[in-house]
Amino acid sequence: MQLGREVLDQQAIDAKGRQMGKVDGIVLELRGDQARVAAVVVGGTTLLWRVHAGLAAWAERRLGGEGAPTRIPWRQVVKIGIDVKLDVEAERTPAFRWERWVRDHVISRVPGA
Amino acid sequence: MSKLLEIALGIVTGIGGFLETGSLATSAQAGAGFGFQLIWAIALGVICIAFLVEMAGRLAAISHHTLPDAMRERFGIRFFLAPLVAVALVSFLVLAAEIGGVALALQFASGVSYRVWALPVAAAVWLLLWKGTLGVVEKGASLLGLVTIAFVVGAVRLHAPLADVVSGLLPTAPEHDPAKYWFTAVSIIGASVSPYLFYFYSAGAVEDGWDEGYLGVNRATAALGMTFGGGIAVAVLACAAMVLHVRGIQVDRYEQIPLLLSTPLGRAGFWLFVASLGVACFGAALEIALQLAYLVAQGFGWRWGENLRPREAARFTLVYTLALPLAALVSVAGMDPLKLTVISMALTALSLPVTVVPLLILMNDPLYLGEHTNGWISNAAVLAVSVIACIVALVAIPLQIMGS
Amino acid sequence: MTQPREVRLERLLGRLLVDEFGVAVGRIEDVEAEPDGDAYVVTHVLVGPEGRLARLLAFTHQLPTLRAIGLGRKPRVRRVPWAWLDLSDPWHPRLRQAPVGQ
Repeated sequence: MQLGREVLDQQAIDAKGRQMGKVDGIVLELRGDQARVAAVVVGGTTLLWRVHAGLAAWAERRLGGEGAPTRIPWRQVVKIGIDVKLDVEAERTPAFRWERWVRDHVISRVPGA
Repeated sequence: MSKLLEIALGIVTGIGGFLETGSLATSAQAGAGFGFQLIWAIALGVICIAFLVEMAGRLAAISHHTLPDAMRERFGIRFFLAPLVAVALVSFLVLAAEIGGVALALQFASGVSYRVWALPVAAAVWLLLWKGTLGVVEKGASLLGLVTIAFVVGAVRLHAPLADVVSGLLPTAPEHDPAKYWFTAVSIIGASVSPYLFYFYSAGAVEDGWDEGYLGVNRATAALGMTFGGGIAVAVLACAAMVLHVRGIQVDRYEQIPLLLSTPLGRAGFWLFVASLGVACFGAALEIALQLAYLVAQGFGWRWGENLRPREAARFTLVYTLALPLAALVSVAGMDPLKLTVISMALTALSLPVTVVPLLILMNDPLYLGEHTNGWISNAAVLAVSVIACIVALVAIPLQIMGS
Repeated sequence: MTQPREVRLERLLGRLLVDEFGVAVGRIEDVEAEPDGDAYVVTHVLVGPEGRLARLLAFTHQLPTLRAIGLGRKPRVRRVPWAWLDLSDPWHPRLRQAPVGQ
């Protein structure tokens, strides 16, 4: 399997079938000569690193870290087809932090929502 | 039978969806300034957009990916950013122009300035998106859009000479005002080949669950819908040629445009024009606001769908909730709706390579299309039109700005 | 027992790979992984001249029109075994000295 082509930038779907972002990054774990696929990353400054490293480094200094990336261990990656299905619940991960925030602070405030 | 119904619906969508402020204003300007001479630009635009809409539908039916999804996935974030930013900017400008168009129609009807109407119009669009479903937005907008057939009636009443219409299909060099001629030509192409049309179409096809069985419907819809839609644009041009060109009236101020229908059809014509302008722009504003939300949400993988309740797709909803009032502010600030429209269309033409080439790349990728990749004719046609339009726009826009 | 070190695949893509003498070999285009028990283990790196552009240019290699005029030929992409990669500086990946007996 080609990780860049088949996993990176794919749509991430949670256990309930909800879109929860794109696979912004992939973590490889080095053990001696071997590298294992450890996790996929959604959100945080991961994406910014790929757009502009200087900007990402600056953002991380301001945020004091990577923001709130969601790391999903590779064993919870269920299926790779058109989308990448993840055996997690998006609501409970930081990947849904902004979705939750917008829903609770903006959308719900609109009368009739 | 249901396939036939789908095609019929597609044609209605084409008629109702093609004509919006851009096609209306640019066709009217072309007819007023150059008679029937610029019909070729409409034809070129129609061929190009028909190919593009067909491609976006084919991509959705075969790969089940919307355009932004596929671009992000295939190109990675870096090469996705260019089309994302270009399409978002152009769509925002066109959205502002459509809101200006509806507000202008309300000004014609009420006498109250478009600047007052812009925000209420944006609020009405927002309310429909918030409450409505994709079916309501798509079908409602296109059914109401049928009122634009009034232009065909107007052109027939004016006895527009068919021979002139046909001879206008052949591109010819202008006898006067070359800068204005080419600027108008690229604006027409920009108005026809609006990226929002095929981006919106791809999202709709995925949301409606298209599969390989829809390829025929898709092809027929794209070809017939866009041709009929283009036919209405030609009718607008013909009305302008018969009413304004013969009297040497240029379309510089929007107050002159209702003449297109009030001359052949009298008082009723005036109201038909107001309804056409208002309804066509309102429908387009709905689709563009929705398409902006689709674009951003799909590009970053957020939950999206016009059939979801706003709470279920919060960030998606937020995009159109922010874009609409911002776009209305352009009119509130007093930007002339006609100028705004023409500038947006020229900039759309300028950005065509950035918005269109990514689709072409995907359409030639067997990873997404399998055996249904593009043939060389559609590749060549779309590439040629977008590159030529971009180059001409690059030359014509500065000339036009210096000239006016 | 030291913590296993991590590298981020997305930041590795597109990087220039040099050999043990510092001569450029090509850019990292992608990484291949195979299942190994429960885990997925990286087996090869794909190294070619196009780097990150590879995903963008892939379509040109199958266009008959371009091929007919001698363009769009598929560039040579090498599959380098992962074990040959020296990632002590992850920003500047190198090939190890050609391992004896491989």
